[in-house]
Parts: sequence; C-alpha cells; structure tokens
Amino acid sequence: MEELLQMAKKACDQAEVYSISYDDDLVLFEDARLYDINSKKQSGFSLRIIRDGKLGFAYTRNLINRQELLRNAQDSLEGKVEADYQFPSTPKPTPLKTFDPSLESLSPSDLVEECNRLCQLLIPQTDGEISAAAYTHVEKIRIINSTGTDLSMQSGEYGIYANMIFPGSGVGIGRDFLSKKFERFPQTLIQEMTELFRKSSRVVEPKSGRMKVLFMPNSMMGINWRILSGTNGKNIYLKVSPVASKIGTKIFDEKITIYDDPLNDARPKARSFDDEGVACRPLTLVQDGVLKNFFYDLNYAAKLKVPPTGSGYRTGELFMALSADPITLKPIPALPHLVIKPGKSSLTELVKQIDRGIILEGALGPHSGNIPNGDFSFGVSPGLYVEKGKIVGRVKDAMVSGNIYEPFQQVVDIGDTLYPCAVWGWVPPILCDDVNVATKN
Amino acid sequence: MFEKLQRMLSRVDADYADIRYEIKKAVIISFQGRDLTQIGSNSTDGYVMRVLKDGGMSSVVFTQEKDAEKAARSAEENARLISKNIKKPVTLAKTEVIKDTFVPDLKEDPRKIPMSEKLELVRRYNDIPLKHEKIGTTYIAYQEVIREKHFLNTEGTQIREDLITTRLVGEIISKDGSLTQNIRISAGGSDGFTAVRDQDKYLGKKTAIALDLLKAQPVEGGTYNCIFNPSLAGVFTHEAFGHYSEADLLENLPAMREKMKLGNKLGSEVLSVMDDPTLPGKLGFYKYDDEGVKSKPTQLMRNGILTGRMHSRRTATEFGEPVSGHCVAEDFRYPPIIRMGTIFIQPGTPSFEELLGQLGDGLYLSDAQGGETSGENFTFGAQYGYVVKGGKIDRMVRDINISGNLYKTLKDIAAVGNDLTLSRTGGCGKGPVMQLNLRSCYGAPHVLVNNLVVGGV
Repeated sequence: MEELLQMAKKACDQAEVYSISYDDDLVLFEDARLYDINSKKQSGFSLRIIRDGKLGFAYTRNLINRQELLRNAQDSLEGKVEADYQFPSTPKPTPLKTFDPSLESLSPSDLVEECNRLCQLLIPQTDGEISAAAYTHVEKIRIINSTGTDLSMQSGEYGIYANMIFPGSGVGIGRDFLSKKFERFPQTLIQEMTELFRKSSRVVEPKSGRMKVLFMPNSMMGINWRILSGTNGKNIYLKVSPVASKIGTKIFDEKITIYDDPLNDARPKARSFDDEGVACRPLTLVQDGVLKNFFYDLNYAAKLKVPPTGSGYRTGELFMALSADPITLKPIPALPHLVIKPGKSSLTELVKQIDRGIILEGALGPHSGNIPNGDFSFGVSPGLYVEKGKIVGRVKDAMVSGNIYEPFQQVVDIGDTLYPCAVWGWVPPILCDDVNVATKN
Repeated sequence: MFEKLQRMLSRVDADYADIRYEIKKAVIISFQGRDLTQIGSNSTDGYVMRVLKDGGMSSVVFTQEKDAEKAARSAEENARLISKNIKKPVTLAKTEVIKDTFVPDLKEDPRKIPMSEKLELVRRYNDIPLKHEKIGTTYIAYQEVIREKHFLNTEGTQIREDLITTRLVGEIISKDGSLTQNIRISAGGSDGFTAVRDQDKYLGKKTAIALDLLKAQPVEGGTYNCIFNPSLAGVFTHEAFGHYSEADLLENLPAMREKMKLGNKLGSEVLSVMDDPTLPGKLGFYKYDDEGVKSKPTQLMRNGILTGRMHSRRTATEFGEPVSGHCVAEDFRYPPIIRMGTIFIQPGTPSFEELLGQLGDGLYLSDAQGGETSGENFTFGAQYGYVVKGGKIDRMVRDINISGNLYKTLKDIAAVGNDLTLSRTGGCGKGPVMQLNLRSCYGAPHVLVNNLVVGGV
C-alpha cells in the first residue's frame, strides 16, 4: 500500500489508498434444519487521487500491478470530476473495542449448534416453519493518504436471526440479535416472538381508516431511509430535501431524538474514523423533534463549505447497501450508526395504548414510492391488528401509508428497547397516531 | 485459466465440486444534477467453489489464488457439517456435460466505444431534463458490466461465457416549492452499446411526466380495478408470481409448497406465464446458468394452472421436476441461487382500448417503482397513473402503491392485452445474502386486474 501511495503522490497533488479484507461465515436453517453454509474470504484495494481539483478513482482485488491501478485512476481524471476537498490529516484516534478475539475461534459448527438450540426452543411454539441464520463477519480496514494519515482497525460482528412463519403464508415474526462476540439468543426475544406469533395466528379483516400504528424495528428500515434522505448532505446540496431550510425548527414530535452514535463500542461495528479517514463523532440529527444537523462526507461538505461530519462511507443507496462492494464505491454520506432514542414503555405497555390500530411487524416495499419527499406506503408483512389494547389477529392485504413528516409529528409513545434495524441503525418501537391504513374493507 | 481451475478442483475431496472464476469489468459514468460524480473503468475478479460431500453441499468465495487450498478445506468441512445435520441428503439432478465457449453477438461492442464518447452521450441525456426550471435535480448513470465467466465442474463440464450488460439508469426529480416528485430512468440491454443510444425522446418523455406529476393529485387509498401498463404488469408478474415459482423459496415451506403444486389452479383462465432466458438480444438472455446448465424456456402457468417451476440442480431433484437452468449469481462474490431470466405474461387478444372499455371506472397505472415479495404478500409502487372514467383516461394521480395477496390477485386478473413489451433494465434483490440481478428481465402486455388495494399517502 505504501508503495502505491508513493507512486500516486508523485503523479498527482493528493492520494489515498483504502484497503479492506473480510472473512464471513454464514449458516442457514430452513424449516428448522441446516440448509446451507457459505464462507467468504475477500479483500481489495481502492485508490483515490486528486490533481488540479479533479478526482481520479480506481480499484482492484489484488495489488499485483500497481502501475495499472494508478493508470486507471489517472485515466478517470480525464472525466474532470470535481474534488474541492483535501484528504484529512487525522491523528490515530483512541482505539475502540471493536474486535473480540473469541470471534475468530467461533466456527460454523458453533453457529450450527446455536441455530439448532434456537430452533428446538421454537418448534414447540408453532405448527409453522422456522427459519434461522447465524453469521460471523470479521473485517480489517486500513486507510493511508498523502497527508500522512495512517489509520487501521479490525472489527467483528456476530449475528443470529430467527423467524416463525405463519403456516402457508411465508410471512412471520422474526428477531435479530447482534453482538461483538458469541452470545446465546436472548430468552426475552424468544418470549416476545412466540407471544406475538401466538396472539396473531387468526386472520382478521378490519376496516380501512386512520388509526394508531406501532412501527416495530423490523418495519423501520423504510422510515430510516426517508429520515436519512432528508438529512443527507448530498440532498441538501442538490436542494431536494424537504427539510433543507428547517434547521432549528420542529419537524417531528418532541418525543423524537435521532443521533449517530459511531463511537459506541458496546455495539458491533463501532467506528473511530469513516471510510475516508475523517474522525467520527456523535452527531445529533433531531433533538426533541427539532432538526439540528445534516451529515456530510468530504465531497458534499466541501461543496457546501461546512465541516465534514465523519459520515463518508463506501456503501450503496437503499437496498444497494446490502450487496455493496466497498472497494468499487466512492464514499457517500451515510449514517451506519443511526439511533432513535428509546422511550420508557415496554412493548406490552405500548400495545395497551392502542384502542384500534396495527402493529407493523414488517414493511414490504420500503424502497417504493417518493423517498426524497418522505412519502411511504408499506405493505403489512405482517401487520397485527389491535383492538382495545389487545392483539386480536393479523391482517393481510393492507397498506400503511403517509409522509414521515406527518405521523412522526403525532408520536404517542416510544418503546424502551433498542433493536437492530437492517440497513441501518438501532431503533425502538414507535407508536404513532392517525396513520392511514388501507385494507380490502 | 481452465488448467488452473482444474488444479484447484483436483485437490477437492468430494462427490462433486465446481468452480467459477469471473473477471468483472465495470464502467460507470454518473451525473448528479450538473455535476459529473463518477467516471472510470475497472475490473475485479474472484472465485466461487461449491462442494458436495456425503449429501451436504456448501460454497466458499475467495478472491486470492493463494487461498484456494484453504477455501477447498473449508468447503469440505462445511459440507461434512451439513451432511451430519441435513434433513435429506442433497442430490444434484443429472444434466448434460457441456464444453462450450459462448460470446454473445453484440450490435455494438461497448468495449470499443471511447470513454469520451460515452461521457458525451450521458451528458447529452442528462441535459434534457435539466433544461427545465422545475426539474430540481437528476441522477443519470451509464453502467456497463461485463462478466467473463469460466465454469468448470468435476463431471467434465467446461464453459466460458460472457455476459455484457449496458444500461442507463437513474431518476429525474421535479420540484415545486416543498413538493418533490421523481421518475425513474431505465434503458439498456444485453446486446451492446446500441441499447443505450438514441434515448433522447425517451428522456424527453420522462421529463414531461416528472413535470406533470407536480400538478397531479395523490391517489385516494382504497380498492380499485386497475389496468397496469406493460412495465408495471411485468413487475407484478415478477413479484406476485415469479418469486414463488423459484423452487428454493418454496423448498422448505411445506404448506406453501402444497399450495404451489404443479397442476393446481392458481390464476384466472386468461393468465399464462413463461420464463425464457433464451430470447436472443433480450436483457434476461444467458446460454448457461452458473451451475453449467443450458437455459431453456419454462412454461410456469398455462390458463391459470401451474405447469412448471424454476430450478437449480438441487431443487430439481428435491421436487422431482425437470432441471430448468435458472441458478444464477450476481457475480464472483456469490454462489448461484434460483433467479428469473425473462419472465412474462403471454399476450391475449384485446387491444388497450378494449381493456379501457372493459375497465369502465378505475385506475390506469404505469411503470413500476420498486416492488417486494414476502411469502404470499407483495407490494409495489407505480410511478404515475390516471383515473379512468367510463373507459376514458382522465386526470393524473401520484403516490400509488399496491399491495396484495398472491393467491387472490392471480385469480383477479380479468383480461390480458395483446401488446407484450419486455423490460430493458433489471435489478432484483434476493437471497439471505442480498444479490442483485441486473439482468432480471420481465414483461407483459397491458393487463386488467380487479380488486387491488391501493395505498395513497
């Protein structure tokens, strides 16, 4: 890497070499039995150069031909992509505890054993199928640049997931558990899943209307995307955020506080620097409903003449983040450590507050609709119907829709527990009032 | 290369093994508004090895040649672990042993077009919407993905195939005060650079729709009878039916498998659906899948009755049904999974005007805006639509999302038009580890569907 950086420095004004390697093991259970095991061992390098305020970019899997990689980056300079920023000079940060060495000795066989144990606990609770998966992910990142910045980190994640499927539907109640090291799937999550599953086995057909909706963490991905679309530095620069001029004003109910929490190494994948070597720090987006900040990578921070927020990650937009190949992507503004602040009520207490409404356990189509505008329209997958504080069954063929800047103005209460939310972040259950629910009736 | 792959395979102790080595070449040119944000050409490569031992099958991905030995050991070990825990041993369905090199005929090889010419073309397209005051911004990208695949298995199959995809994707965002609307751009194909040339009129049409949407009213949520345009009907076919014709999604869901038994009547009389990856020049074309199986057309439904299914070699044995050649990976970072090739509703006889007459009052909905399936439920968005009154197209509506149940909706298809059109870009995500299939192709004629739940905003 150093050799490549030296070569690149001679050919241009600034240079950055990013490298990543990762090892993954994934075991998959279907119908409560082991189905497949995938292992991956991947690595790669990415080069960014800046000459006369223009960006060159290239990547490779194997650093065999440095000249060719540099030439590819130089060729891309011809396109004249503007880069009005400096690669940062970042001192080595205080190390975070992102890697637990015990993870390296965790084998696929251990993952199989835990999935087996989990399935055996769930089997007596259902006539339907159970799917489960467990994985380990260990990654090493190093970033060096022409200002002398040399940052590296190793992080590890263990994850396990189980889903109890309603017979014949393919849809179920699932929970994820993430950690930095192996831990047994928590009993509390098993209880929560089985209770929700048991209470919602009957299919009911409620009437359409405006009602309370309890957004469960599994359904929050699409909501998070819309919050992040509105506060993303890129969309501020492009003037397509509906809240671009609303810093200091109330955009959500005062119960809502949203922040980025990259340094919290109690959770997996904490980061002390982003994918372009900018130091990470906690960042509040929304405090008590009031919009406080937007988030930026180096590029959009420079365009808007504001400081970067350490939010430049080599990832894709929306679902693309799930199959992103980091070396092939330039950093964009992203917040992988998003947190919505929990409240004080248990799930049971939240449900008790619903006179008539839906518990949105999963949302279909989070990527559909006008995301920049904040509009959402989710298919319930599944949706549990509640009357007088009690779950009475589950709804099929229903849609929950609105604009995030409306229901999140009418938050009734927020759950006391944070759950991981796929791409990305950690969120509690959020109970909103007066949300549009369309059903067949 | 094949000698090297042969050496890697020869060291595997298994009943069956295969290895796929791919070089993936990607060109990207993207504009965000007036700014060119990315331009470049790069290549990456890597290996996927699959091992079947004692009825257990596992896969391993690696990107460095030096890791081949370690990868083989880990695949063997994982296969053994699976064989000890699996319900039923995996047996791969028998297929023809193939030795072939296939490079598709291109109308214009994108590798021979200078980057400067590609850049100017994309800039020209991007300028079309940006001329208008109420276009807030654009994202327009040219993407070229070339997969040079080498496949070898221990049965003697040896295949070299290139898959070349060119596409123009992105969105046009219109803005009026605090209201923003977006329209997606999707053009391209598998037959070379020609697929992205001459798109000026297309961009002009999309820009006009994005501007019209600023004046459209949100659709009122409720249950409607609807006509889908071919793009939307294609996504509907893909989401509401196609995914559950993929055998791996059903394999371990006994209750759904029972509902999806071949011979069951699932759709209305007018509905016949085919998946055909062999259609030359179409986006979904491939000659061999990533298990080395030759692709072929599969009739999935005829007059509402289930007649076939998409399979891997593993699921074909499990279901006792013919191998179909539908096991495809995104690239070298993934083992193959069952994917649709080109799925479409086969045309009927009514014209679009006749369908409007049959609809009477309802909605005419156009162009998909993302879709998703989970079990029997599906959801997808339409980019824009029109209210239809007395068989006549009336005012434009926006914010249209549709949700439904697979079994009910297939029976609610009332009529299928005569104007089949196939999609020019794909991008379906699937899998426990998400894989994106850029060549997922879908299509349909105009289709009339009754009783759809449409969610407004």
